[in-house]
Amino acid sequence: MSVRQWKHERPFTGSLLTLLSGALILWVPLNLIVKAFLPGTASVIGILFGGMILLLGAMALFFPQFSKVFGIIIIFLSILSVIGALGGFLIGTLLGITGGSLMIAWNPSPPLQKEEDQIDAYNGYESAELVEAK
Amino acid sequence: MGKTIELKTTINKGNLNRKVFWKAFASGMVVLAALLSFMGISGTAYAIPMAGVGNFYVEFDHLAGNGYTFYPKMGESSKEKSTPQGTNLIKDLTIDHLQLYKDFNISGDKWIRVKIAASKPVHISGLQQDASVINADAKFSNLALKEKQSTDWQKQFQQTASTIELNHAKIKTHYLFQEKIMMNGMKVTVERINKPAN
Repeated sequence: MSVRQWKHERPFTGSLLTLLSGALILWVPLNLIVKAFLPGTASVIGILFGGMILLLGAMALFFPQFSKVFGIIIIFLSILSVIGALGGFLIGTLLGITGGSLMIAWNPSPPLQKEEDQIDAYNGYESAELVEAK
Repeated sequence: MGKTIELKTTINKGNLNRKVFWKAFASGMVVLAALLSFMGISGTAYAIPMAGVGNFYVEFDHLAGNGYTFYPKMGESSKEKSTPQGTNLIKDLTIDHLQLYKDFNISGDKWIRVKIAASKPVHISGLQQDASVINADAKFSNLALKEKQSTDWQKQFQQTASTIELNHAKIKTHYLFQEKIMMNGMKVTVERINKPAN
């Protein structure tokens, strides 16, 4: 499987934007804890939201069939991350909303026909009812 | 007649429904706008980190708070990586006529001042302020200054008080953090000034 094919089989752009968003949202509370030694409630909430967004962004790459559910949760968490993590200075929130929307709007391609079906289609498939009628 | 065999590689492409994308995006933005306007109306901003702003001034007419702790430390400012400072921790406090400002030298002798002011009383919980100069009329209750045996010099001296009251204060601040702040009547201005505050 080529890289191009791999990318097309999952909501790649949406996942990428979501991963960026998660990283930005995480950056603010991590900075607070490292620089200010303030592991308060706000920082914990920020880390939880940022971590969840990162995780969902990565999961969408491996479970593309659930991209719509992931997208909705990502948008929800990105907006809530404004409280506690400043939404990665709002840029993280905007990226999260865009990434989540791309995941919701992404549709997997219809499955390819099996080899037998393709042969039938080539030879002219006749259904059981049609054969009976004849 | 020769037979031509054509080999094709098909990529199993997912597709994007633009209509659904814009609907989801617009819904997200509406909810975000609602949350931001709610925070704006209630004057609440959570966890405002101002790290890195460094060496700015805090002025107010009156401060009343409880649960005060002070200890010395070495901290960062906009000019130096490590400079002597004191950390002030206050659990809950109310400030009247608060003004925060930072002066920037934009070129030569041209200066601008970014000022945040609140016309109504400001309520803060979980304040940490690292300052190098505090000028104020102070009043404490249950004030205790104590030494502790520790290998960490920052833990060797501590000042605590159950309540603190400061009047007409000017504080040279390097770091400011509030767990929760209610800033009603907030006004942010950027203006030209002749010379910076000292």
